[in-house]
Amino acid sequence: MMESMKIRTILILGTIAIALALVSLWMGQQAYTWLPPQASVEAESIDRLFSFLVTLGTFIFLGVVGTLTYSVLFQQAGKYDTSDGPHIEGNLTLEIVWTAIPFVLVVWIAGYSYHIYDQMSILGPMDHVHVKTMGMATAEAATLDTPEMKTHPIEVRARQWVWEFYYPEQNITSTELHLPSNQRVKLVLRSEDVLHGFYVPAFRVKQDIIPGRVIDFEFTPIREGRYRLRDSQYSGTYFAAMQTDVVVESEQAYQQWLIDAAASPPIVAYNRAFDEYNRAHNPISTGWKTVEPAPPPMVNAPANRSTNPPSGQSL
Amino acid sequence: MNPTKIDPSLNSHVESTHISGLHGTVEHTHDEAGNSMFGFIVFLLSESVIFLSFFAGYIVYKTTALDWLPKGFTGLETHEPAINTVVLVSSSFVIYIAERFLHVKNLWGFRAFWLLTMAMGSYFLYGQAVEWRNLPFGFTDGVFGGTFYLLTGFHGLHVMTGVLLQTIMLGRSFIPGNYDKGEFGVAATSLFWHFVDVIWIILFILIYIWQ
Amino acid sequence: MTNLSVETITQIEQPLPGAPDNWKRFFSFSTDHKVIGIQYLVTSFFFFLIGGIFAMIIRGELITPEADLLDRAVYNAMFTMHGTVMLFLWTFPSLVGLSNYLVPLMIGAKDMAFPRLNAAAFWMVPVFGVILMASFFVPGGPSQSGWWAYPPVSLQNPTGNLINGQMLWLLAVAISGVSSIMGAVNFVTTIVRMRSPGMTWFRMPVFVWTVLAAQIIQLFGLPALTAGAVMLLLDLTVGTSFFDPAKGGDPILFQHFFWFYSHPAVYVIILPIFGIFSEIFPVYARKPLFGYKVVAISSLIITGLSGIVWVHHMFASGTPGWMRMVFMATTMLISVPTGIKVFAWVATVWGGKLRLNTPMLFALGGLVMFVFAGITGIMLASVPIDIHVNNTYFVVGHFHYVIYGAVVMGMYAALYHWFPKMTGRMYSEGLGKLHFALTFLGTNLNFFPMHPLGLQGMPRRVASYDPEFAFWNVVASLGAFLLGMSTLPFILNMIGSWVQGEKAPQNPWRAIGLEWLVSSPPTVENFEELPIVISEPYGYGKSEPLVANPDALEVSHESN
Repeated sequence: MMESMKIRTILILGTIAIALALVSLWMGQQAYTWLPPQASVEAESIDRLFSFLVTLGTFIFLGVVGTLTYSVLFQQAGKYDTSDGPHIEGNLTLEIVWTAIPFVLVVWIAGYSYHIYDQMSILGPMDHVHVKTMGMATAEAATLDTPEMKTHPIEVRARQWVWEFYYPEQNITSTELHLPSNQRVKLVLRSEDVLHGFYVPAFRVKQDIIPGRVIDFEFTPIREGRYRLRDSQYSGTYFAAMQTDVVVESEQAYQQWLIDAAASPPIVAYNRAFDEYNRAHNPISTGWKTVEPAPPPMVNAPANRSTNPPSGQSL
Repeated sequence: MNPTKIDPSLNSHVESTHISGLHGTVEHTHDEAGNSMFGFIVFLLSESVIFLSFFAGYIVYKTTALDWLPKGFTGLETHEPAINTVVLVSSSFVIYIAERFLHVKNLWGFRAFWLLTMAMGSYFLYGQAVEWRNLPFGFTDGVFGGTFYLLTGFHGLHVMTGVLLQTIMLGRSFIPGNYDKGEFGVAATSLFWHFVDVIWIILFILIYIWQ
Repeated sequence: MTNLSVETITQIEQPLPGAPDNWKRFFSFSTDHKVIGIQYLVTSFFFFLIGGIFAMIIRGELITPEADLLDRAVYNAMFTMHGTVMLFLWTFPSLVGLSNYLVPLMIGAKDMAFPRLNAAAFWMVPVFGVILMASFFVPGGPSQSGWWAYPPVSLQNPTGNLINGQMLWLLAVAISGVSSIMGAVNFVTTIVRMRSPGMTWFRMPVFVWTVLAAQIIQLFGLPALTAGAVMLLLDLTVGTSFFDPAKGGDPILFQHFFWFYSHPAVYVIILPIFGIFSEIFPVYARKPLFGYKVVAISSLIITGLSGIVWVHHMFASGTPGWMRMVFMATTMLISVPTGIKVFAWVATVWGGKLRLNTPMLFALGGLVMFVFAGITGIMLASVPIDIHVNNTYFVVGHFHYVIYGAVVMGMYAALYHWFPKMTGRMYSEGLGKLHFALTFLGTNLNFFPMHPLGLQGMPRRVASYDPEFAFWNVVASLGAFLLGMSTLPFILNMIGSWVQGEKAPQNPWRAIGLEWLVSSPPTVENFEELPIVISEPYGYGKSEPLVANPDALEVSHESN
């Protein structure tokens, strides 16, 4: 009698677990659709990790919430029932299990995350500290076999509230970042005033830019197209307006763009913060004095106006 | 165990409320001096984290700053500060002797050594002031100037507080029956003084010895 | 039951300054921990409403992609003040208030260890609240650097005035810190030294454990923030160069100081909520707290771990790779003691005899949202994912599920649960359930959309955004307005019930705990004779007395 009860319980629990696992796996696949297009090698591996965590998370969430829901639905006290439930103070086996399983899980997640971070090898501000970073020795080998960009690193200059990109070999300045596809891109990040953040959601990479430091940054774009580059570290009054485009193009198109840009004489680029500051177009203004935006830069290649419309027209 | 502040026959709720309302918090059953000492130790532990943070900041700046010392400045003179250190550290022993005197109810012995502690503390402050006056850099001269004055200044503020507390305790020792309820004030001041001393030793090592 | 006679006595009581039914005592420098507790709760709720208005203004701006409602500077001031008010003037003081009210009662003490220090700590709250609000009226407006006050933005002082918004902000935060340290010293001393006879460590309710764990964090964490804030203030006013890169300073060092406190601060907030969950589930499930000792100890483990995780806020900042990896590992470890608690609550509820009244609903709703926040928390701990979603709305969604979903819901659960004890009146269940429904719906509507927004790459703190983000922002804004409305039935319930609610008996929930053995509200010094505790807490399902002297705790009992 007891045996068959036990078998029945195990069967029911097993069925529920399988059902939850299936739902979780499905959710894990859905997770890919919640993210921007995968425009870099890094994006592919990060999305895999995210999908894995969504699968695990869904399983745990449904497990906990399902149990609670069952209790709420079927274990309510009767209206006039003032008796207590069973006096159960704990269960050592159960407690060990639910300490051990999360422990193993987080070690697994941390290991997996470490592996992916290692592969990404986005550099970041590690050169600042004297200690040569641990665990990054394998990074070179692990990085995907894309050819490195043959040119000098592109300089990213951030200031309140301008993105300016400088291509040292061609002596080009631009307010739009052009990158060749399928090559390891090298950037040098600099800020002239406050903290800024270099963030391209489609690449899944982000790095704060710190005034007084020069930060090397690397990633590999793999999908041609036009993406948004946003300031991700709050930088003051016009922080939200500090956005521009990244254009990933084929090697030929990229080279052509370099030639065209080098041939164009520098012109004043439109700058949204500067424009707004000088037009004070807002109906409710307190007149609080704010930091004055840097003047619009002189560039060979200004950003696309249809994706970066002037203020008053969306964004 | 419950010091009955009200006549047990007055078992009216109103009366009990009334009386405890008037007397507030004084009439508790617990050991108040013990609580105060415990609380004070907890506070000092917490306070020490401020110093630890400043020390951590100092170490970070010292190991990473590109231009550490102000231009034209080669390093701190350690001779005078070393004398200052000896005076301050010895005062910890002097205050301990004062405490022992109080313990055996020798009030004048206590006052004499207590006053000596105060004199040594004041000498330390004087030495600090002289050093500050002769330094070629100010508070706003780079991170070295900033951290130097921040650390020594914040510590000096504690020494000053210590001397002030000692003055109050000295004055209180003349109140008859001051120690009937225990020696919490003196014990706490003394503990504070040891704390200030220990902080100074770390500070001295960090700033003057590790140059 | 002797309740009836207790009530009659309370009614004929004279309105003395310290008497529990004299409203004037709430405006005095009372040293009664129960008065101070309620002073904290009411004051902080007032600021909760102010912070909520700021939030609704923010959501009003974000209902359209353009920055068209407010000046960008005003928007930035709004989110700065929203964060500051909600943390320093709502969550901290409200939890200190609840702890103030409950801890002495729960451990069988007549008051806190230092009653005058307690009152002084409370009265600092309105003082720094006023200073913070006053910053709206100085030239240049209030601080606009976010509640992190990261330099160099926080050091930019376009007006050039010495008295500026940022300076007042730092002053307010400093006073808040002093108040919190005073409170923390008081709580730790009270819990360690004022427990009644027989109240051993493992007979303390979990709420007391969590308050102890939280206040220890204040003691070691706050001084680090104080150090950073002092240095920032000196940079701003005197012109030192600690954090100013233009003068050789290191802005990243400030981030370390800031997060060394401000991440543990999250545990200062959430730990007492864990305590509330641990108190409420056993009462309304009529079962002992599952694995009491492990739950109690895991609070202290969280305290320990909370001190070594702060860099996870800086994964995309100026931190080297090895540091990111180390702090990823420590951060993930914290989910182990937290998981233990979650599973313990689920096991407590499981197989119980559930009564779904308002406190239980809020606690269950809070638990569900906390589990969700925990899962997104693990995602954020993973460096590669954090690199993508750091400083996006994903983070905002995550911590609002913690702070609103778990903390505010848990706080509401506590307020309903102990309302009869605090006021001597019963609240209205109908309004309470309405309040729960609106809050639960509003919270999810408001904060769920932030997750897809963050995953799509919408940065936090923006006043304008690309039109692709419009849909979820509209949903979030509607949720925010609903959440704003949800406070109305609560306010109505609290005021109405306090004024004319049904009289509450000593123990309306048949709960086990020292606070339920005395009248509602308790008398000024709680216990006429200190309770002698003889059994462990949460003795549901067996009939074992909690104290040896239940009839001696109050004078009024003897008269019956």
